[in-house]
Amino acid sequence: MTARATGRFPGFDVLSQAQHWDQVTTDLITARTGPQPAPRFFTDGEQAAAAALLNQLTGQCDEPLGVPVMEMVDARLAAGETDGWHYADMPEDGQAWRETLGYLDQDAHDRCGSGFAGAAGHDQAAIIQAVQDAKEWHGMPGPRVWSLWTRYACTAVYSHPDAWSEMGFPGPAYPRGYKNAGVGKLEPFEVQDARPAEDPVGDDG
Amino acid sequence: MPSVRDRNESAWLLPNDGSRTNHGLRRDMRRFADNDEIDMVIVGCGAGGSVMAQRLARAGWRVAALDAGPFWDPDTDWVSDEAGSHGLYWTEPRVIAGSDPVPMGSNNSGRGVGGSMIHYAGYTPRFHPSDFATYTNDGVGADWPLDYEDLRPYYTALEQELPVAGEHWPWGDPHGYPYRPHPVGGNGEIFLRGADKLGITAKVGPVAIANGRFGNRPHCIYRGFCLQGCKVNAKASPLVTHIPDALARGAEIRANAMVTQVVTDQHTGRALGVLYLRDGREHFQRARMVAVAGYSIETPRLLLNSASSRFPDGLCNDFDQVGRYLMVQGAPQTAGRFDAEVRMYKSPPPEVSSEAFYETDPARDYKRGFAIQTVSPLPITWAEHVAAQGHWGAALREYMSDYVHWSCLGSLCEFLALPDNRVTLAEEKDAHGLPVAQFSYSQCDNDRALAKAAQSVMEDILHAAGADEVITIQRYAHLVGGARMAADERHGVVDANCRSFAVPNLYITDGSALPTQGSANPALTIMAVAARAADHLTGTG
Repeated sequence: MTARATGRFPGFDVLSQAQHWDQVTTDLITARTGPQPAPRFFTDGEQAAAAALLNQLTGQCDEPLGVPVMEMVDARLAAGETDGWHYADMPEDGQAWRETLGYLDQDAHDRCGSGFAGAAGHDQAAIIQAVQDAKEWHGMPGPRVWSLWTRYACTAVYSHPDAWSEMGFPGPAYPRGYKNAGVGKLEPFEVQDARPAEDPVGDDG
Repeated sequence: MPSVRDRNESAWLLPNDGSRTNHGLRRDMRRFADNDEIDMVIVGCGAGGSVMAQRLARAGWRVAALDAGPFWDPDTDWVSDEAGSHGLYWTEPRVIAGSDPVPMGSNNSGRGVGGSMIHYAGYTPRFHPSDFATYTNDGVGADWPLDYEDLRPYYTALEQELPVAGEHWPWGDPHGYPYRPHPVGGNGEIFLRGADKLGITAKVGPVAIANGRFGNRPHCIYRGFCLQGCKVNAKASPLVTHIPDALARGAEIRANAMVTQVVTDQHTGRALGVLYLRDGREHFQRARMVAVAGYSIETPRLLLNSASSRFPDGLCNDFDQVGRYLMVQGAPQTAGRFDAEVRMYKSPPPEVSSEAFYETDPARDYKRGFAIQTVSPLPITWAEHVAAQGHWGAALREYMSDYVHWSCLGSLCEFLALPDNRVTLAEEKDAHGLPVAQFSYSQCDNDRALAKAAQSVMEDILHAAGADEVITIQRYAHLVGGARMAADERHGVVDANCRSFAVPNLYITDGSALPTQGSANPALTIMAVAARAADHLTGTG
């Protein structure tokens, strides 16, 4: 299924345009593509569960984009770069991550006798789906757990230039800006979708 | 009225060499000592605080404006990137509660000099005359202790200072704008096409981005990252529209100074100044008057954290009004899928809007209304929209690869002011040991009916434009209220001039003073209310 996401913008590579970006932005974006610092927030056990969860959520299991999602989430939590707020019936984000990763391991043990990271892909998917469907999960409101996970997962993966290349989005645009805005119009450096009628809504996607 | 430059020289005080900050102006800034009793100390340098500082400095007042965040330099501090813009948001701890809690952070909370206007979209509509008397007219919300005519000259003046570009505006009090509308991109084109098919009037603007050069501020380059801070100086924010003039006229902007308490004299009941933290030390700035402009969460929190023997339940809270009637606009966002490529990221997110549904329609079973505007989410916010449909894994990734085909509209629904939607102090403490704000929010039936109606109109517009599928996410937008103005102290915290009922030399000059919110983005009205309060103070109103 993931193959349907790839190859829609043949030859389009966001980083090939980096010489047109301002230096502050270039430094920030290119740092995301290099080796990431070793995790500082998650314990070893939490790292394995978090990596498995985040790869499942962002569709990187079968055909990885190569985005180090777990390392990026860890870096945010280690630096305290949360959004600050938390629901009155949830702990603050860092604590909520630790607790929910523990519950994932617990669910995996109950289901297939291993930790979450060691479970088969379809078992991981079933455990995750049950959380999305749950009103309450291990005493926590299910939708708020789901929101926590997907917010951090999406912020990490969709800040990565390889994810932008896959969606035809050119990324940073300063100081160049855009000159050809409008339906059906392209800049010289943009690439047209090779499969424009492939509507994810209209089929079984 | 004198020319803009004669009233506010900000745009001409910025550099014209391709850099964005006048470092000399900041270096040579006047600096007051803590024990110097200045005329006014202002808490917060956002829409309200910055306008107040500029107006008072122009009138010769000795004024310092303190902000908890940094004094931004767009060249070195800001990036063309969503995740990298995290520092623009107020991310100190807060607790959210109620039956419909409102997430904070990137969506509604600013940090640093310029406040939330650093990352607002740039829409600057006026309120309608009806917004000032919703209780009299419709039996909902509240009446303001002033009316539209009181604000009109301030709207006109500020639209020139920002300045605002847009078509002639046919709604509310019809008016024009000083700059012609911007060209529209794919998303604006879709909105105009769909609205035209349905006979709904939609207009380009009003956007606080000059269409053309303004002073030393360059023309917009249509880079699409308005919500990440404008690296061009094209989009208006107080950092470029009011702070430079304030500095040139002798105001001090004291950044990285977190005000923790307004101190009052227990005998006279008057404010003496503010306690603040800077460089790890506590300071006390003496002042003849205090203006609080910390926005709808931090302003009530500061008042509640300023309790004393005279004000045991919080400053200005004798009648349990502080923190109440905090409003947030319902902001369902609906996207439509087109086989053609829309590429909505290639223009400023604010392009086209319609206020055709703003007023109460007697044929409907709800009061008040909503506005519809283009919003153009970048990948991370777009992922939130897609994930809200329940997609994850391969399905999420496939949807995301379809990004260039989507057009996105947002609505602003006038959710009503309710007494139990309020800020209180939580048990939880921040890094300084101060209680954090708990914001409790619950919708009423009218709110839900409005959001439903707005979604249905957006779906109709997108379908009429040719979308084959539409998807919606329920969101919230701007905050206002929490220390509202009213006719008397039993119904609000401040009077029509933003002066608190309880403390004669304490003013509240930010969005928290607003009693209703309409369906308009609040920035321009917050500035207008602050400018009017400043005129009252300087005797020029």
